[in-house]
Order: sequence, then C-alpha cells, then structure tokens
Amino acid sequence: MNDAHPTDSHPVSDALAAAERLRPSHPETAPPAAGGRPGQVRAEPSAEEGAGADWVSGRTVGLIISTGVLFAVLAVQSPTFLSAYTMFVVSRQVAFYVLIALAQAVCLVVGGMNLSVGAIGSMATVVLGLLLDRAGLPSWIAAPAAVGFGCLAGLLNGAIIVGLRIDSFIVTISMMFIYMGLRSGISGGAPYRVPDTFTRVGQGTFLGIPYVFVIMLAVLLLVSYMFRNTVFGRRLLATGGNLDAARLSGISTDRMILSANAMSGFFAALAAVLWASKLGSAAPETGDDWLIVSFAVAIIGGTALNGGAVSAFGILMGASIYMLIQHGLIEVKANPYYARSFLGALILMAIVVDRLREVYAARMEDRGAR
Amino acid sequence: MLELRSISKRFPGVQALQDVSLQFSPGEIHAVVGENGAGKSTAMKIITGILRPDAGQIVLDGTPLEFRSYRDSLRAGIDIVSQELQVLPRASVAENIMLDKMITRGRSGIIDWGRVNRVAQTYMDMVGLRLPASRPVHRLSAAQKQLAQIAKALAARARVLLLDEPTSSLTEFEARNLFAILRELRAQGVTILFVSHKFEEVFGLCDRVSVLRDGRVAGGVAIGDITPPALIAMMIGREYLEERLGAPSVAPAREVLRAEHLARRGKARDVSFSLAEGEILGFYGLVGAGRTEVARILIGEEKLDRGRILVGGRPARIRRVADSLYRYRLGYVTENRKEEGLFLDSSVKTNIAITAWPRLVAKMTRHIRGAEERAVAARMAHATDLRCTGLRQKARTLSGGNQQKLSIAKWLAADCDILIIDEPSVGVDVGAKAQIHRLIWDLARHDRKSIILISSDMPEIIRLSDRILVFRAGRIAGEVRGAAERPYGEVSAEIGSFLGQTAAADEPNP
Repeated sequence: MNDAHPTDSHPVSDALAAAERLRPSHPETAPPAAGGRPGQVRAEPSAEEGAGADWVSGRTVGLIISTGVLFAVLAVQSPTFLSAYTMFVVSRQVAFYVLIALAQAVCLVVGGMNLSVGAIGSMATVVLGLLLDRAGLPSWIAAPAAVGFGCLAGLLNGAIIVGLRIDSFIVTISMMFIYMGLRSGISGGAPYRVPDTFTRVGQGTFLGIPYVFVIMLAVLLLVSYMFRNTVFGRRLLATGGNLDAARLSGISTDRMILSANAMSGFFAALAAVLWASKLGSAAPETGDDWLIVSFAVAIIGGTALNGGAVSAFGILMGASIYMLIQHGLIEVKANPYYARSFLGALILMAIVVDRLREVYAARMEDRGAR
Repeated sequence: MLELRSISKRFPGVQALQDVSLQFSPGEIHAVVGENGAGKSTAMKIITGILRPDAGQIVLDGTPLEFRSYRDSLRAGIDIVSQELQVLPRASVAENIMLDKMITRGRSGIIDWGRVNRVAQTYMDMVGLRLPASRPVHRLSAAQKQLAQIAKALAARARVLLLDEPTSSLTEFEARNLFAILRELRAQGVTILFVSHKFEEVFGLCDRVSVLRDGRVAGGVAIGDITPPALIAMMIGREYLEERLGAPSVAPAREVLRAEHLARRGKARDVSFSLAEGEILGFYGLVGAGRTEVARILIGEEKLDRGRILVGGRPARIRRVADSLYRYRLGYVTENRKEEGLFLDSSVKTNIAITAWPRLVAKMTRHIRGAEERAVAARMAHATDLRCTGLRQKARTLSGGNQQKLSIAKWLAADCDILIIDEPSVGVDVGAKAQIHRLIWDLARHDRKSIILISSDMPEIIRLSDRILVFRAGRIAGEVRGAAERPYGEVSAEIGSFLGQTAAADEPNP
C-alpha cells in the first residue's frame, strides 16, 4: 500500500489547513462550519464555554432554589423583611460576603488557598487609616493606595508560594499572623477617623440600591467574563484543573498562581476599604471573622476546593444564602451563641450535596460511555 | 500452584482481559510477556487483589481465593515487587519490612526497635541488602528499594512473588545480583512471576513463558522450546506484522531541529542529533535511559547544563513550555496522559483548544471566540478520529485510546511543526493503536511534520521510524537506519546490540 491518501483530501491535512487559516495573520477568515460527514464530531452551537466556569449549571440550580425558598419564607414570616431598610442592609452585607468570598475563590481556582484574606483586609484598613487620619491625604489617593497595598500583599504571598515552592496553606497562615501582628502593633487597636466624604460610597444608594452592591455586581460580572471568556481566566481554571498538564500545555502556571494571589489581595483590600466607608471609621479589627466567611460562601457557592471550577453566580447565591440564614436566625430569635454551629453544619451540608452530585454525575457519564 | 481460571476484566471502552487462564507452578520462574496494553498489568493487579475480575477465579493450591483488597492477597502469601508500589519513604527499612508484624514489649504496645531491627536484618541479609536496618527508605537507591521489597515478601513468607519490570532502573550488576536471589528463591519452592519486556532476561532467567496478546492468552511454552523470533511472533501476531504503513522516508529534507551535546546532570550526557522536516525519529531505550529526559530538555521542562538546541538553524532559548510552543512551535505529547496530559474533568473541547486559545482571541473584548473554539476542537477531533459523544464529554470518561488521540489532537490544534510523542500506545488497545500509528505516519508524510517518537515498544518503533536512536544510561548508544525496509529480526538484533554493547562502558559511572 503506497500513499493511499492524497494530501489534498486527508483529514489531518484539512484540519491543519483550517488551523493555518485561524492564525492571527488572517483574523477575519472564519473557518467553514464543521459537520456533515458521518462519524464527525459536530461543533454544537451550545452556550457552553469555560467548562469550569458555568454561569448557571447543575451546581447553581440548587442554590437558586434554596435562595428563593429562604427568601420566600422570610418574606412571609417577617413583616419587616421586605422593608426598604432591611433590603438595604441585607443587600449591602451580601455584597461584602461576595467580595470576601471572591478573595478566597480566585486562590481556590488555581488549586491553592489564602488564609490571610482577613489579615490582608485588616492591614489594608490600617494603611487606609494611616493615610487618611495621620497623613491627611484625600480619599481619592488613600483608598486606591490601600487597595494597591492589598494587591502587593497578595503578590508577596504568591511570590513566596511560587518562588520557594511552598504550599499555599503554610505560606498564607504564616502571612496571616505576620499581618495580624503588624496591624495590632501599628494601630494599637484604636480605630482611625475618616473624613465624612469618605462614607458616601459605603452608606449611600443608587436608585435605592447600595453603591456597595452595585460595585460588587460590576466586579462579579467582570470576574465571570474573565473566567468564562478570556484566555487568562481559562488558563487560571486549567492551572487548578491539572497543574502539570497546564504547564506542559504552554501555560506559565507560576504566573497564574501569582496573578490569582494578587487578585485575592485586591478583593480583600477592596472589601476592607468599602467596609471602612460603610462603618465611618477604619477599624483595625476589620477582617477578623473573614476567614470562615470566605470559605463558607465560596464552598456553598460551588467553588471546587481542589481547584479548576468556580461560578460567579454561585458565589452570589452562596452569599445570599449565608446572609438569609443569619437573618432568619435573628428573626426566629435563635440563641445567637449557637449561630456558628448552624453555619458550620450548613457548610458541611453544601460539601456533602456537591459530592453526591458529582458521584451521581460520574455514574451517569460512566453509563453513557459504555 | 497458582491458577487463573477464565479471568475476564473490562474497562470502559476496552476489554482488558478475555477468558485468561494461566498456571504457575512452585519452584518456577514464569515470565509473562506481551506488548503494552496486552493486559499484563491488569492480570497482575487482579492476582494481587488491587482489581477484581468481572468473571473467573484465582485458585491457589486448589483453594479458590476471593480477594476484596490488596491485603487479602498478602494474607494468601502473594506479594508484589514493583516500582509503583507504595513504601513509607520516611520510615526505616526495618519498619517497612516489619510493618504488619511489629514486635512489641509484652502487651504494652511499645515497639521493641532493637528486636525489630535485628529480625529485619536477617531478611535483609538473605537478599544481600547490606546497610543498616534503621536507614530511611527514601535514601535507598532504586535497586536497594527493590531488594527491601523482596525482603519484606520473605518476611511475609510469600509463596508467590510478582516482579513487574524489576530491572528497568537497575544497572547490569544490580540486575545480576537480583537474578541470583530469584534463583535461590526458586530453589526454595517460591512461585515467581516475572513481567518483562527484555528478552535476554526472559531467556536467561525464566523457566516458562506465557504470552498475552490483546487481553487473551496467545500461548505458553517452556523456555527451551521457543526462540526469540518465535516469541516475538507470538506476542505481536501475524496480521499485525503484515500491515505496512507505506513508503519509508523520501529524500533528505531540510533540518528543522538540531541538538548539540545536550547534557543534564543525572539525566542526559552529550546527546546530539538532528531532525529533518517530515521525518519520524525514534528514541528507543529503557525507562530512565534518557529519552523522556531529553524530550523534557527540548521543551524547557528540564534545565540544560551544557549544549545547545537549534530550531530551523538558529539557536533557541527555551526556558519553559510556553517558549517551545509559541516561539518554536515544538510540542510534547506526554507519556502520562492522565497525570500530565489531560484535564480529566474538563470537556473534550477545552482539552483540545487550550493550546490554541491565544490565537482565537477577539481584538477588542479579549474574549475567546466560542464558535471558532468549537470549530477547532471539532476539526481536530475529526482529524484524530476521536470517538466521543460530543465536544462536551469529559475527558475522564473516554477510553485509553481516545484519551491518547485527545492528547495528540491538543497538539494538532497547537499547530506545531515539531511534535515529540512519548509512548503513544501504552494502555491502548490494538485497534486504537493501529489508528494512532496511521495518524503519526500521516502527520509526517502528508503534513510534513517532524516527529520524535519515544517508545519502549520495539515493533512500534521499528514500524514507524525512519531512523532510531538507541538510548542507554543518558546517552545515545547507537543509531539504526532504514529500519522499515529490513527484516524485523535483523533490526531488533541491531537495537539489542546497542543496548548490550555499552554495558561495560557504563559501569564506572555512578
């Protein structure tokens, strides 16, 4: 048998010729639609994009239903729940939870974690207080500077993780203590004063919606777009999905881990600055309870603990559920001392449900493969 | 006597074993041979209780055994020595040997380390492992670890000992030492199963040989009744030998890649070669001989101590895979698909398109154009004849052969000029293997891709390669030309001569 396949009609050649057309030198040439020949894999015109970053999926449907049920129960049970004031307070708190959870989720996505989210937030608050109160700088300089500090702190975490090849758990737990100590030493524990103008964003509303919530939505949409549609975002997901495979596929996984940690610091500091604006002072103890919140909301929201999957919408739902349950516990006048036990059980339940869903899905796929 | 009676085992998409019956007698070293994917490792895993058969029985001295786990087979006196086997690396040799039978002071539960070490030492002496019993296992060489495993098996009074490719990382001297110990065990009536690719070992050491092919028993004979060529024929089957892929390489072509004196401590020594456009260059050798190591140097996964790499005649600076892929269009299809090649929980589409993302980006919005991504994935899936339910199927649920095609599809999508393909048919059934061979062949012949094919599968490498470089101990021991046109036996003998010839020269090196 000698050269049974002439070059012009060979599938490999065809495919490679198509790849050729897709090179940047011919950006306008769209490839002819695949399809037709028997046995050929068709390009389904589905909405499925980044596999690990679904907007609404099996993971999130349950969350939407849970949120809806909780919301409805509270609305019926409590006469004040639907009031403008309650809605304002609840939605603003949800926004903070989302930002804090994002700080954790971006690290989880690349297969790491950040135990210093709260500590970075705390240090960012102190930096903000120093700049506003001691240095007397205007808000438009102090706020970005504090957020920039958060980025740098996250970048430092990432640099240690990548540079010294140390597990993120050890690095970030150490950094957590370092930042906690620094903020106590520097601030002495007393809050810093902030100018009245600084509180406008944290306390104000736009068409009745808290500014903080609007900012959070914008951030969330950007993050979602990033993970679903951009090369950068999907490379972050791939890095968490399989680190070795990602590196061997030409992804600079070190750079991905660095970026994820810098973003984590960014979100933590952003939440801290907005919190100071909401509070009307830069309180150093800001961030002390963020660690648990960040994991709880991210996990309930369907972020994979071992990396590779995240849902922006899930995080929003996770934050809502977390908030609504806390609110509900107050409504039913539950003993507040037990509140954490309840939330702990909730996190565990979220993991169990997710695990069951995975086992079930694997079983279905296995059956499909045979 | 250990018997396998009509054992069958199926994995999604592959019939790994079909009605396999084998008998292993006491006081016998019994070789189990077969090509990659023939079912050897599945059979071994079933004998040791790691996998459970779908049908059939394992019978030891007339008693049917029901294994629920690895522990059950240990209890029955079956022990395995393999490189993959887990040892406790931080624990001492003595602790590893005595783990399940620790000696305590009375009933106190406090370990009597003095006695544990003394007892362990007696077993270590039996296998000629001359070092302190208290040394942590992670400080042992590969050969010493194997001896420690055998000592452990002796301590467990194993009646059946399985050795899976035991010499793949041993020196000649260490291997000879191991064989002497195995002969001694045989004299004591231990049944020894010896899985190996190396014919000189099968013919030099073993008493009987059983051949697996495509998950079935292709034959079993006493070693004195068969010649190496006859054994090869039994392993690969006639029909397989007859299929020819086409004309061998054409006239000399443009050089696309040149390696000059590549050296990396402990991995590669003075490796030089050149690769032409449209050529398939085989890298043959044993695991750890430097083939994969050189591949990893080429793609920037491994640092280079000395030497240089030229791509298209110009010196290349490759520090990471991103450089080799996007600057020099050089791709590497990994050997460990599941660990290093695929994103098992991601879709077929993501797995293929991942290397192509940067060129699918829209200018303004920076998003990956979804329709084009799907089109690229669909085309590459078609080009590699990937069998999947759709682009959204998860990579995890594909069969071994289709996973391998998926890895190759990823690198087709990357649009590389040079492809390094490492062990393309490990764990792949015969049908998929033929397709993968055809695919590699067509890539070189029709699409003028230059390919480095790394394989431990001699028929495969002889069938596909224009030239074969034989690696041994980190260097190129010899080059075989015109393999496809010459008789198989002649070429395999030439490769074998390169593997043996340099043995003496390697000894002085650590």
